[in-house]
Amino acid sequence: MAETITLQKKARGERPQYFADPAIDKALSITLALAGEVAVLRDRIDTIERLAEAGQSPTRAAVDAYVPDAAVRAARDAWRDSYLDTVLRIIHQEREELEQRAADTKPYAAVIDEVEAGG
Amino acid sequence: MQTNQDLSTQFRHGVLPQTTSDEFSRQEFVKSLKFHLASKVSLGNQDAFEARAKPAFTKTTGAEPETYADIRRAMSDDPYYRFWSAMQRNSQEMMWKSVQIPVERQLPELIAKAGEAGGKGTLKLNPELEIPRYHRGVDIHCMPGGYHTEFTADDVANGAVYDSAVYIYAMGRMGPLNSDIGDTTIAWIKENHPDFKPRRILDMGCSVGHSTLSYCDAWPEAEIFAIDVGAPVLRYAHARAESMGKSVHFSQQNAEATDFEDGTFDLIVSHILVHETSNAAMRNIMRECNRLLTPGGLAVHAETPPYRDLPAYDAFMLDWDTRNNNEPYWGASHELVTADIAAECGFDPAKSFEAYQPSAFEATERRTKVFQGGDFGGGGAWWLWGVQK
Repeated sequence: MAETITLQKKARGERPQYFADPAIDKALSITLALAGEVAVLRDRIDTIERLAEAGQSPTRAAVDAYVPDAAVRAARDAWRDSYLDTVLRIIHQEREELEQRAADTKPYAAVIDEVEAGG
Repeated sequence: MQTNQDLSTQFRHGVLPQTTSDEFSRQEFVKSLKFHLASKVSLGNQDAFEARAKPAFTKTTGAEPETYADIRRAMSDDPYYRFWSAMQRNSQEMMWKSVQIPVERQLPELIAKAGEAGGKGTLKLNPELEIPRYHRGVDIHCMPGGYHTEFTADDVANGAVYDSAVYIYAMGRMGPLNSDIGDTTIAWIKENHPDFKPRRILDMGCSVGHSTLSYCDAWPEAEIFAIDVGAPVLRYAHARAESMGKSVHFSQQNAEATDFEDGTFDLIVSHILVHETSNAAMRNIMRECNRLLTPGGLAVHAETPPYRDLPAYDAFMLDWDTRNNNEPYWGASHELVTADIAAECGFDPAKSFEAYQPSAFEATERRTKVFQGGDFGGGGAWWLWGVQK
């Protein structure tokens, strides 16, 4: 077996720090990576189920080689979007609150203009 | 089975890295995360601005934020914006990781395939070429190693990495060949210069040839040349073009100073090159365009819109990349005024132009309709600027 060639892991350049404690930056990165790995596992279960439904043996080789068609990809896209709604609940909650507050900052006259303009 | 006619997947040319089902799922997650952030999370930044950051800025400074720089100052500490930014940055880093895994696994095979590429076109590398400072300083758009780093002999790794990642980055909206910018530029040229028949065409900063190959089909009689500073992307570009039966002459050159003779080209194009250079380099590139063009020839550069054409809030969001995605020239490049650059570089400013051309690839259902950090194709149009000699 040929020797593995290792690619560079970090992009050159200072990484921005988004939170007061750099440990929070790391924890968020790990959480998002884990969310990704859960989605990978879920797709793998979905593959096993689909192979079994098609009467095929869900061996490791069959699962690894599985290529989802357009309909399966669309179903998985939809699943991931609602999965992210669930995982990112706290963000969506904050967004909803901000949306309400932003609407409250609008003068009432602006709302009249908006509905009259057809919005 | 994926077919090459399927417009919702990347075209499987001869050197596209293969993926196991897990590897593909990991990439699909990144695509979904990017789309989710763009379509459902990013929009909350505007609410945070209206509800929180704008009133606070107005209270502190006594004036409402007007410019995109004002909005950046107002928003820089907003917790919603910071959390979104952190997630957006992570989505970019996760994207590179998700494509590095399969490339690392099959790199020896990819190198072998590239080495066997046929000879319709040519590949000329120059190991002595000095990699410009603006590519050595930071790895642009966070791609580890940039376009030029070689991890082994005859390396194609970052060509393969870039090819796979662009498809995820654009969420598929640049088409199965990632060719939307080239196709859109060609559509503009054909609509605005219907009798133009370029004999020799140069694509500057071609990377893996995503846009280059469209010119082979648009003007089949023309000779197509393409240059880049990165050897790994050029080796991969050559192998990719050959596997698709396209004839392109690739060479490793800096667009600021090439080895072509004066008046070699009727058409010189670049696609998202300019924002990855510098204020000095882009002027050198325009002077080089002037030297290389025939009289009546066209130089056309495709980018995202200049900030002056956008509402201040949209410009602020588009500017996210400057500070968060290793794109140091992104901001300044969005302030360029074409006529001024043309005049500075020896062209007649009256023959310069700036135009918007609707994206050639029809994928409207995937568009978010707004320009926002990390979503450069979101607006559904490309900004084209340039000059006729």
